[in-house]
Amino acid sequence: MGLDPADETGRASGRTPARGEARARLAALRAQLVPPADGRVSCPILPLGLPALDAHLPGGGLALGPPHEIAPAGPADGVAALGFALALCALHLSRVSGEALIAAAPGEPLPYGHGLMGLGLDPGRLLLLEAGGDGEVFRALEAALHARALAALIGLLRDGLPLKPGRRLQLAAEGPDPPLLLLLRPAAAGMPNGAATRWRIAAAPASRDRFGTLDRPRWRARLERCRNGRGGDWLLEWDHAAHRLHLPEPLAGDAAASGRSRA
Amino acid sequence: MAVAAEGPGGLRLLALDPAAQALGLRPGEPLGRVRARIGVPLRVHPADPDADRDALLRLCRWASRYAPLVAPFGPAEASDGLYIDVAWASHLRGGEANLVGDLAGRLARANIPARIALADTPGAAFALARHGGADRIVVPPGGAAEALRGLPVEALRLDPGTVAGLKRLGLRRIGALDALPRGPLARRFGEALLLRLDQALGRRPEPLAPLTEAADYAAARGFLDPIGRQSDIVRTARDLMAELAPRLERDGLGACALRLTLHRVDGALRALDLGLSRPERDPERVAALVSLRLDRLGSGLDAGFGFETVALAVTVTGTMPARQTDLGAASVGDGVGFLADALAQRLGRALLRLEPRASHLPERAGRGVLWVAGEGHGSVPGLGRGRTQAPLPPPSAGEGGPRSGSGEGSAGSGSGGADVKAGAPFCTAAPLLRDFVPAPPAAQGTLPRRGGRERRGSDSSLSASPWPDHLPPRPLVLFPRGEAACDVLSTVPEGPPRRFRWRAQIHRVAHAEGPERIEAEWWREPGEPRDYYRVECEAGHRLWLYRDGPHAPGRPAAWYVHGLFA
Repeated sequence: MGLDPADETGRASGRTPARGEARARLAALRAQLVPPADGRVSCPILPLGLPALDAHLPGGGLALGPPHEIAPAGPADGVAALGFALALCALHLSRVSGEALIAAAPGEPLPYGHGLMGLGLDPGRLLLLEAGGDGEVFRALEAALHARALAALIGLLRDGLPLKPGRRLQLAAEGPDPPLLLLLRPAAAGMPNGAATRWRIAAAPASRDRFGTLDRPRWRARLERCRNGRGGDWLLEWDHAAHRLHLPEPLAGDAAASGRSRA
Repeated sequence: MAVAAEGPGGLRLLALDPAAQALGLRPGEPLGRVRARIGVPLRVHPADPDADRDALLRLCRWASRYAPLVAPFGPAEASDGLYIDVAWASHLRGGEANLVGDLAGRLARANIPARIALADTPGAAFALARHGGADRIVVPPGGAAEALRGLPVEALRLDPGTVAGLKRLGLRRIGALDALPRGPLARRFGEALLLRLDQALGRRPEPLAPLTEAADYAAARGFLDPIGRQSDIVRTARDLMAELAPRLERDGLGACALRLTLHRVDGALRALDLGLSRPERDPERVAALVSLRLDRLGSGLDAGFGFETVALAVTVTGTMPARQTDLGAASVGDGVGFLADALAQRLGRALLRLEPRASHLPERAGRGVLWVAGEGHGSVPGLGRGRTQAPLPPPSAGEGGPRSGSGEGSAGSGSGGADVKAGAPFCTAAPLLRDFVPAPPAAQGTLPRRGGRERRGSDSSLSASPWPDHLPPRPLVLFPRGEAACDVLSTVPEGPPRRFRWRAQIHRVAHAEGPERIEAEWWREPGEPRDYYRVECEAGHRLWLYRDGPHAPGRPAAWYVHGLFA
């Protein structure tokens, strides 16, 4: 950026605006490089529709792209965790078009088509991949992330999510239009990784309809870890017809109250 | 050295090496008499017809480098040679004489003694290869009758009885036989003699049974300098596909399955089968899939000293209407299709989708089927699958070539024949078989789309979703078979359990709903009806339990856990 010799302001004062211009440009470049200080990430978000939950999550919902880790509270809660993950998947699929992929390590239970109907998830929008191990699950998910062809990805892991594959998945998810990425692992397979959130899901007695029969599934969901957010503990109820998560009123504790006051 | 096999009256010699032949032995002699006669030790190997057959097939596959139509000898030709249909293919090797020379040279380098004859008909070529005067014979077009005139009648592939009868009449040469009136011959020896004679002389056509059908769309490229690097193979595959794409496009077809055949310098052969989820003719995509497959193989693809020929053949085609390829964003199904192909090549695993089946039994009411682009939601299959070419399962590993000793079947008798006959024009090497990826089932969408227990009012088989939506609640995870629940305690004998043990844990039932009775499918196999209960335990877990068989006094109830609700 050379000085304009025809500038009317003269040589002495002519340097200052140029330097100011350069500073402004540098600041703009820095702003592009550094994420905002308030933790709000610019990636798209899946709002859970509950102010109580969304207030705990950065950006007001589950970030699309980075991996979210879901673990059962105990060995017997594996199906509850799978149900929660599929409910999130159904919530996302109800908003966007496209299909979801479940990549499962051997031995992990695959969902039953007729049972998916009960969660409000159309089995026709679900693709399955029976992988030969956790490594293949990661590779399949990475390929799917690069392909950008699916709306949601769920990986069922046998040995948990280590740091390196988590980082690879996160890198693969960068870019426009990322899918929802959920990783389920067994209860005892926790390890440090780069997951954006870590949920702990336990089964809870289902809600009853007015005839006293089992109606909507409920889970006790604990947000154990949340980058740039706060943890929490909720009792969640899934309405498969409306694709909505609820906080059941009579049993809702402080979390629900605080959420309402916040909203 | 000799090879012996069980024959009439004990072991008989089947094939001999030159040293044994020099002793005056002949195939067919009884082994015991031979041993007594020659007085020198004779190494005898038992015959192994299966290994001979495998070796011959390997040789056939290798020989497909010359022309796509290769047929092994059948029982009438003693199964020790092969035909190559080089019609319209010999010019690729610089003429018929050069082709025969090249073939002889390569076989000799592989230590396979062979006799090669090139003639108008398979019968003539066989006769000359087996009984001709030289190891390499090239008969000019139309010269078959002249060339066959002096050959013995055995050369006509006749059964031994006919040959003996002809010789008793003094008819030892084909020329003498051909000069006789046909009527008396047919009366005396049957129609088969005239058929063989006519086939040899080209008066009647003789269809060959080729090993693989020739692919309609195939291209090959040979290299003076063998290639061994992955990037070179991928680039070659892209170039070959670019060669094929206009031909496919002209016919409105796309490739559903491709076979990339790599001919190694030492004669070994490697074929990679690429299955595609939908018809494709984009060279870049094919190259990407080849690259992924080579990634997966890694060092499993032993390049050795390099590959000298790379051939790409379209083994399965599907209709592919013309479409705009450059402008506009690719549709979503497109991306999923490519992802499915990439996963299939990279991991060797197929994408599945769930499909309902018309069955009452929960474990039979759903299944995973191969994901195919354009299908889903029970719509009619969007893609017409074309003809399937050459889906022949490989009889052996499918890799091989003329290594030394692999051609023992023909080495012993010393007469491998290579024949030529007129046929349809083909100009490329035929594909060979290696880890054949089965094409997705062609008969998709033939299932009754009504599932479950209730009938829908109208047979709306093309509704939005094929899944029945009026079923009672079904579990999210279903076990393939019920897992026994023991120590069951019920308050009411015919009611649901109050407490049971399953997977080494006591479950106390807080709430139970049911029963839902599901009858066994008696038309398949007899069985007891099942009474299903939805059960919620005190810990909040929800299970799907069933009692096998109705309640009957004096009979212990058998309870099983069949699934888990979310």
